[in-house]
Amino acid sequence: MKKGWLVFLLLLSAHALAVPVEIKVNLRVGDRPLQWGQTYQTPQGQRYQIDLLKFYISEVALVRPDGREVRVDGLALAEFKRDGPTQGVSVMKLDVPAGQYRGLRFNVGVPRELNHLDAGTQQLPLGVNSGMYWAWNPGYIFYRLEGTALLPEGNQKWVIHMGTDTFRIPVRLHDLQTRRVQINIPPGGGVIVLNLDVARAFEPGPGGVFVDWRKQPLRQLHGLSPETSLLMSVVYFNMQTAFSLAQ
Amino acid sequence: MRRRPMVWVGLLLGVGLLGWYFWPRSAPPPPLHPSSPRILFAERSVPIPEDNPQTPAKVALGRKLFYDTRLSKDNTVACASCHKPEFAFSDGGKAVSTGIFGRKGTRNAPTLTNVGFRRHLFWEGRSPRLELQAVGPLTAHDEMGLEPEELAQRLQAIPEYAQAFREVFGEPPSLRAVTYAIAAFERTLVSYNSPFDRYQAGDDQALSPAALRGMELFFSEKGDCFHCHVGPDFTDDEPRNTALYTVYKDIGLARATGKDEDVGKFKTPTLRNVALTAPYMHDGSIRTLREVVQHYNRGGEPNLNADALIRPLGLTDQEVDDLVAFLEALTDTSFTTNPALLPPGGQGGAP
Repeated sequence: MKKGWLVFLLLLSAHALAVPVEIKVNLRVGDRPLQWGQTYQTPQGQRYQIDLLKFYISEVALVRPDGREVRVDGLALAEFKRDGPTQGVSVMKLDVPAGQYRGLRFNVGVPRELNHLDAGTQQLPLGVNSGMYWAWNPGYIFYRLEGTALLPEGNQKWVIHMGTDTFRIPVRLHDLQTRRVQINIPPGGGVIVLNLDVARAFEPGPGGVFVDWRKQPLRQLHGLSPETSLLMSVVYFNMQTAFSLAQ
Repeated sequence: MRRRPMVWVGLLLGVGLLGWYFWPRSAPPPPLHPSSPRILFAERSVPIPEDNPQTPAKVALGRKLFYDTRLSKDNTVACASCHKPEFAFSDGGKAVSTGIFGRKGTRNAPTLTNVGFRRHLFWEGRSPRLELQAVGPLTAHDEMGLEPEELAQRLQAIPEYAQAFREVFGEPPSLRAVTYAIAAFERTLVSYNSPFDRYQAGDDQALSPAALRGMELFFSEKGDCFHCHVGPDFTDDEPRNTALYTVYKDIGLARATGKDEDVGKFKTPTLRNVALTAPYMHDGSIRTLREVVQHYNRGGEPNLNADALIRPLGLTDQEVDDLVAFLEALTDTSFTTNPALLPPGGQGGAP
């Protein structure tokens, strides 16, 4: 009986110590803030604009200095639409104990156990109304980046729809060894600001391969198709370093 | 005293008989619409998912949506633009369909005949139900191209739709509700009144001699159509490589699985109303039924992923003609002219 009360009190105190924390995202192109309608250039000299970005963030955990993790349930859908804000956009709210952390980790994507549920029966941020359900391929698009390529022959829409369990992107922004990463959550709660460099997707891969929008099939990067999987893997690899903690 | 047990037995039997007579029984499924042709394939009824019960109001709403071009980004494309009733809800004569802003698709629009019975949807067969399949064309950039928010706002601004969604779903329009209503309508696209069905029902005159010979071939190892085109709808719903090409431009199921062995695999289509759904194959590359039969008779093109059943069949020209005659006997014109399935008000467009 005494043990039960002890557990109850411990749970109560842990809950009482949890403070609200907000994760915000700044969209960047390189080190500059993303601006809708602005024309950018890939390392290969192809000009483009960004039209839409949506992605799931899930399996978030803050990492304590001793390596233990404070894991956060739930997932959120981050949405950036043309003419909407691109800086300091709130993407997820969580409750964690105040204190010092050595960073955080999360996945861009939907956990496997949620990814294959019947999307017709799911509520936002999942479900078909999210605009992230894939329809021809069971599961959700995890990272949806769309834009316009300004090619000599005319403007062409392009999309990068990354999904399937293979392409769930692990983002690791913690450092237990060098003390370079410090996140302080004050007793009153706090904000963690992330930078996301959307242009990282276009960095060349092994052998200099890149997303060449002059080729029609490469304007539709999605799924596991052998036609485009090499480039999808390049984008996937690049995306793992596209997020950083804002200073 | 000795006769009392007999009285009790009689009484119990009487009560039992009365109970049997009056016991409530599950009624046979009602016809999906009043003018449905008689379904000859026994008492086969379309499976209805628990989360999307069929109601007349929902079917009516789905029918309006199906024929409404306002469900597309540039107001030019409805579901019915590529699934036309007169072609058994396929895209009559077109290899691939045209979506918004004149954008061409890459695949042939399949018939929706008996689509409510399909276990796998899309040419890859990767969608498990009609409600989820409908998300694809409604949102694809080369089909109807609407984001969920835009679709919901557009329908909410049309008073008749706003009211209909409230009445049917108890909520405002949304992509989800749209797909549920369209799926409900699609489950009424039932066709079982072809000459073949009438022959099955006992009408010996329903099939021509050529069609009868074709039927024998179809279900024989020589013709060997029936291993894949099996069951009441002549499909096993499974993806197969039919050796259409040696190198497939459209890689089919592999697009979703990433597996080399799935390159060139596409779902076996139903053959009901197949004479109305030319051109054929996943890309509409074969113009006539006769050419399709000839493709299988030749054994297709060399392909490592080709289905094991694909091989030269050795059919004579007469046998090819007979098979075509049988395939033509799967046509159900009462389906394509059924008023309950045509555009509401005879026009389509506005609800």
